[in-house]
This record gives sequence, C-alpha cells and structure tokens, in this order.
Amino acid sequence: MAEEFNTDGMLDMYLFENEQLLEQLQERVLEQKDADCFDEDSINEIFRTMHTIKGSSGIMMFDNITAVSHKLEDIFYYLRESHPENVPHLELVEHVLEVNDFISGELEKIRNGNPVDGDASEIIERLGKFLKMIKKGVKKEGGELPPKNVHEPAKQFYIAPVATSASRFYKIYLTFYPETEMANIHAYKAVYALKEIAEDLLYSPEDILSDEESAEVILREGFRVLLQAQCTEEQIREVIGVGYDIKQVDVFECKAEEFLQGFDFGSQDAQIDLQSSVEAIEAKAQENEAKGKEEAPKAPAKAPMAPGDFVIKSKEPGKHKTLAKDKAKAEKASFISVNVSKMDQLMDLIGELVISESVVLQNPDLKVPGLNLNSFNKAASQMSKISTDLQNVIMSMRMVPLTNTFQKMNRIVFDVSRKLGKDIEFEMIGEQTEVDKNIIEHISDPLMHLVRNAVDHGIETNEERMETGKPNKGKVTLSARTEAGKVWISVEDNGKGLDREKILAKARKQGLLDDSKPDTAYSDKEVYQFITLPGFSTNEQITEYSGRGVGMDVVIQNIQAIGGVLDIDSSAGIGTVMSLKIPLTLAIIDGIVMETGNSSFVMETGVIKEFVRVQENMMIHEPNGEEYIMIRGECYPVLRLGKWYGLKEYQESIEDGMMLILEVEDKKICLFVDRLIGEQEIVVKPIPSYVKKVKGLSGCTQLGDGSIALILDPGGLLD
Amino acid sequence: MSDTSDLVRRAEEAAQNAADEHDEQKGKYMTFKSGNEYFGIKIQYVNEIIQFQSITAIPETEDYIKGLINLRGKVIPVIDVRLRFKQEPFEYNDRTCIIVISVKSTVVGLIIEKIAEVVEIKEENILPPPSIGRSDKAHHKYVYGIGKVGDSVKLLLDPDKLLNDDDLAVADQANDMIIVEE
Repeated sequence: MAEEFNTDGMLDMYLFENEQLLEQLQERVLEQKDADCFDEDSINEIFRTMHTIKGSSGIMMFDNITAVSHKLEDIFYYLRESHPENVPHLELVEHVLEVNDFISGELEKIRNGNPVDGDASEIIERLGKFLKMIKKGVKKEGGELPPKNVHEPAKQFYIAPVATSASRFYKIYLTFYPETEMANIHAYKAVYALKEIAEDLLYSPEDILSDEESAEVILREGFRVLLQAQCTEEQIREVIGVGYDIKQVDVFECKAEEFLQGFDFGSQDAQIDLQSSVEAIEAKAQENEAKGKEEAPKAPAKAPMAPGDFVIKSKEPGKHKTLAKDKAKAEKASFISVNVSKMDQLMDLIGELVISESVVLQNPDLKVPGLNLNSFNKAASQMSKISTDLQNVIMSMRMVPLTNTFQKMNRIVFDVSRKLGKDIEFEMIGEQTEVDKNIIEHISDPLMHLVRNAVDHGIETNEERMETGKPNKGKVTLSARTEAGKVWISVEDNGKGLDREKILAKARKQGLLDDSKPDTAYSDKEVYQFITLPGFSTNEQITEYSGRGVGMDVVIQNIQAIGGVLDIDSSAGIGTVMSLKIPLTLAIIDGIVMETGNSSFVMETGVIKEFVRVQENMMIHEPNGEEYIMIRGECYPVLRLGKWYGLKEYQESIEDGMMLILEVEDKKICLFVDRLIGEQEIVVKPIPSYVKKVKGLSGCTQLGDGSIALILDPGGLLD
Repeated sequence: MSDTSDLVRRAEEAAQNAADEHDEQKGKYMTFKSGNEYFGIKIQYVNEIIQFQSITAIPETEDYIKGLINLRGKVIPVIDVRLRFKQEPFEYNDRTCIIVISVKSTVVGLIIEKIAEVVEIKEENILPPPSIGRSDKAHHKYVYGIGKVGDSVKLLLDPDKLLNDDDLAVADQANDMIIVEE
C-alpha cells in the first residue's frame, strides 16, 4: 500500500465517494433488472462509475479493485460502442452486482484497516468469459469490433466540460524559482487551486504527480496551463498566488480556437469527454483515421493515439449541456458530511438547553408575588420559540429517508428469488419517508428477515402458483408511511399466506396452548403471533435463507428494542402482511408528567386516550384483588401505579386521584395516578445500565426543576 | 548522533513525568465513615464529591440502590453504602455526601455518612483481611485489605466488587446455606 504518503484524509474521501458510487450503481442496476437490456444512459453511467472507481483505486493502489473495475468497464465499453444484440441481461446484472459486492467487501476491509486481499481473479475470469461470449454473438452477425479499451494506468483522464458563452480562455505560464524543490508538487498545488474555478483545464507537463523528472522540466521550461473559466485575470492570479515558490505568473487571455488547439507540444494530453455520445466518439475515431489526409483542426494530438485514449470535444462546443461533473459540484457545495457522534453531541446539548430553559423559566425565584414580569415573559417566549425551532432543525437533520434501506431489500429480493427460481416482482411505496437515523439502523436487519421470509416462505414456487391458478409472477410490496407520529413499514406478499392449522398444531406440540381451550378460542392474530416465538418454524425444510426458527424472534426483539410493534395479518391463499409500527424518533417525545407517591413519572402523550375523574361506584372489585372500572359502558382493567411499584404514600382513594385511559396495541387499560403535573417535551435518556431493567420503565428524563422523572413504557405495564 | 541522545533523554524525561503523575495518586485513599468503621477507596476511582441532593427512587430494585440523581445533565445511579454492607439504614443529614466513583466506565454515586480525609497508606501497611469464621464472608467480598494509618485502621474497599451484583448474590447464597446448616 502507499505507505510513503499520509493517505488518511484521502482514504476517507476515497471510501466515502466510492461507497456512494456503488450504492448509486446498485440502485440503477436494480431499477433496470427487469428490462430486456440496459438503456444507453445506464450503460454510460455504469461505465463512468467503473471508470471512476478504477481511477481512484489505481491512485490508492488497491490493485484488485482496479483490476475488477477495469474488467467490468471493458464490458460496458464494449456495450456502449457496439450495441450488441442478445446480451443475456440477467446474467449481466448478476455480474455487475457481483463486482459491486466484491468492491464493497474490499472497501469494508479497507475501512476496518484490514489488508485488501480479496481474490479478484475468479470474477475477472468470469467477466472475461462473459465478454468473449457477447463478442462472439456479435461476430456471428458480422458486426465490427471496436478498438479494445486497454488499461492505461499512467494516463490521467478527466471530464472536459463544455464551454458556455461566458467562458474565457487563458494561457498561464508559471515560472518557479530555480531552487524550488519538488516543483512538480508546487505545480500540482496551483493546478489544484485552479480546478476550483476551472471549467476546463489542461497543463503541461502532464504527469506531474507520478513523474519526478517533471520537476526539472517545470524548472527549466516553466509550467504551462490552459484554463477555461468564467473569471478575470485578477481572480486567476489570486487563486494561484505568488509565494515563496512561484516566481512569476503570466496570464494571457486567448481565443477558444487557440485553447482547443492545446499546447503545441500537447501530444501527451489525454482527455476524455464521457458525456459525448457514442456517435461523437465514432466520428472522432473516423476523424483520427482520416488525420493522415487532412489535419483535423480540433485535434490536439499529433502522435497516433493509444486506443481508449480519446481526445474528444462535444460537437457543439457553444451549447450548454448538463454535465455529470457540474452536478457533482453543485451537490458538494450544498452537502457536507458530518460525523454522527458530533450530531449526537449536538442533540445532547440541545436536550440540555431545553431542560435548562425550563429551569430558568420555571424558576421558583420568579414566583415571588408582586414581581413585574412583563418584559421577562416576552423575552422568555421569544427564547422558547427559538429553542423549539432549534429542536426541530436538529430533529430534521437526523431524519433520513428510507430509500437506502429499501434499496437493500430490492437486492435481497433479487438475489433470493433468483436462487430459488421464483419469479417475483418487487414494489416499493413511500421509500422517501423519513425516519430518525438511529431507528433506521435498528430496522434494517428486521426488515431483511421479513423480506426474505416473504420471498422464501410467502411466495409459492412457480409450479404451485400455476396449480392454484394464480398469476405467474409473485409480488412483494414494501411500503412505508407516517401516521400519528409513527412510521408504518409493511412487507406484503401475495403468496400462500400463513397456515393457521399448521401453526396451531405446532404450538400445541410445543405446549404453547392452553390444553383446556379449543383451537377456535384463539384469534387469528394470537395464532400468528406464535411464529414470533423463538424456535418456532413451520417450514419443513431448512433452506439457505430461512426456516431455522430463529429470525422472527430476533425481528421482534429488535423492533421492541426501539419501541416498535409487529403486526401480522394473513389470509390463506391470498398473502401475508407484516407491518412494523415504529416511533418516528427516539430522542425527544411529547409526554405527560404525573406524580404518584413522591415520584414523578412521564407517559408518552400518544398512548393516553383520555383523563377521567372517577367515582368509587364505577369500580368493580374482584375477590382476588383485581379491579375493573366501568366508564361509559366499557369495562377497563385498572392498574394502580403506586401499588404496582410498591411506592410509599400514594393516593388510596380512587376519587382523589386521576385515571388515565391508555391504549396500546388495541388493548385498553386504566392507569391510576395521584395527580397530573403537565405536558412537556421530554428528552429521553436511558436508565444507567448499572440498574437492572425494571418492568414498565423505558428510560428517564430531567424535568424543569432538574429532578429526574421515570418514563413509563405502556407496553411493559400491559404485560 | 547528539540528536539521538537528546531524543532518548527527552523520552526518558517524559516517561518519568508520566510515572510521577501516576505516583502522585498512588497509595492515596479517600476515606469516609460508615457506621463505626472508616473505609478507604483508592483515589483514582473517585471522580468527585458532591453534596447530598434529592434522589429519584426507582421501583423494584435492590434496596441499596437508592435511585437516580442528576449530575449536571448526566443521570447516574446512587447506592447507599450502609445498606450495601447490610447495616442499619441511617438518616440523611447535611453531613451526608455522595462520592462519585467511576469503575470501568460505570459511574455510580456512593451515599456515605461522613467524608473523612485523603490519607496515604504504604503498601507494607496494608494487611489482608483476617478471616474469622464463615459468616463474615459477605463482608470480605469488597474489603480487600486493612490499611494501618497510625493507630487507626481503614477498611480498603474494592470498588469493582462493591458495584458488582453477582458477588452479592453469591454471598447471599453462602449466607443462606449457613443458615440452613444451622
């Protein structure tokens, strides 16, 4: 590896950029997996992506990545140039995904500081065979083969954006002091600075970074730059800056034609315009062939060009085109990537701010009678507004669309269905739904299980579908929506549905059912919940993907850990719907603060249906100590918080306290507390792990006076 | 050549400084009174000493875990040392302090009756706790030595064992077994 450089910063950037590229690549490939072939845009994009990865990996000296991406680039180069017919599309998709996986795996190794040792030779061999195969297909048809895209690692490629009318052209000569050491590096510094403002940039000597001898050339002959930019001479001088190294900067404005001619010694210049259409490349190639007869005015190259080493300008230089590079630049300007830990820190600090705000605003010193607080109150309300805004902003910063997570599922459906030989369509609805980043991390695995289950167990084999007269194609739908402060994510399949009888039989065998109760006493929902128990699988055959009876219980555990619920609905022969109901965010919730005994508790506002003052005559006491209450003709079980936790000095008389009707997962319960304090936005903090988990408590929070309240978990109270 | 020797010298100095800093804390114990005994805890475990403040009780936990306090925005559990030692509970007053200790990144507050002083106890003045009968077993779990300071003795606590629940469970079991045997 490149030990001689300090590559830390570069490495981070490399990983970040390439991971994003791969993600986009996968997305695009999966988008078109059902088509007959890739459209031209995609071919170009995949080619470009591979090209970029090849280039950057070459610089970072990850040879296996370079080799693999080069091979795939070859294939797409061929596709782009020759438009071969009869390319086995699915096979191609698989190859692309395979390469994608390989590179992702290697990047992961790099990230973890492991050596990049993945063996690419097998993949390369397969890709080579594939390329040969599609080439043969073309040969039979008598098509002509384009020049081979030869791997030329030393060449520098970059995208040449097209001139706009406002662009101006400059020739810049940099003269360095003769005693400057490593003048090539200094020259690169200038080039780097110019790139910021450049629309197009050519420089000579070309290989200033890799060729150390170029330093001498630069000192002897000066460093020449051709620049196309929308700026003035002064700006250029400012960007380059005369320093201890650069003796003199000469800037001459020139005409576009001169610029296009390049350096008069520019045979080394390599430039490729990846945006130009295939026609343009072909035209250029012809032009090159014809060069012997007449000198092409635009071609800066005099020496015969290496194949794959094209210098091509768009046919209409004046016309503005949206270029990939332009787009990337715009995005870079409006996004910065921030370390998550810093975000968490900011989140914590804002939480503290919210708390200390209420400490100030509810300060007992303000309650002295006779104080004139008018202007204080005005200032205070202004401050509250700002801190609420601040909270909303930080919350929105943490919100991430589910798109990436859903894309991963797309991949899983593709892989598993191919392996199982099932024909499955995958649909995503509402993947733009935004969810807190922490939550996304937690739902990825459970979703994966659910989607796998749907493909593996849910959807029948093609033959079975034929027999039952169902449409040939199975369908898995992944959808997300927000509703009432929760996110609903459901995985729906149109497969065979859950087999109630089978589940019941298995449950009885495992002794999960009450023997005195008949099967009919269990509702469908209760029955379906059995499949979430550990070690419960009705799949007779264990497949590569599922059937071991682990999975569903893990799903449930992960979802419960973030306060979510799994809802299963199924009808035999029609399909199954698994819905996850997940809170939008974990960090700040609206809560009702209440008191029982000497302790404060908080309950999430969403689950509280109403507050009721009740009379003793509404109560029903069972001999075994259980209590019920009749409210407007409905009977609810009653839970006295003080009694439940064995607190001291809590309100005994039902008429002096407050009854809360809670609704969780379609179950209703009445919670009896001493009194209500108020509503507050609360910052959820975990109970220190030193204290063992207490049933019915999900965390703690600080109240306005700095004291601590415990957050009640309604799910825990119901059990 | 001279460069190298200079570097070596500087490295040695740095190492010496680091060792000095460590030495400064070595052998020093924060002592406090609980019941009639004085206890000591190695000073490097101690984060700070704070005044007693109101505690939010957590239901359904061991009786010695008194609850949670708010330490400048951080929520930490506090335990009552007297109850931890299975002694009689005491009334909290204005002398009551909370020693905040951190053991293996667990931060816990210890409620103690009265803070004493920081003393230096030399290695040779620390004796292993004498074992008298099995009924003392539970106690010895977290007292790992007895330090002599002049005429008085301090019971030196192992904070890790003090916080760790498993030991207590084992100790309880041992006690139970003894009772059964009797």
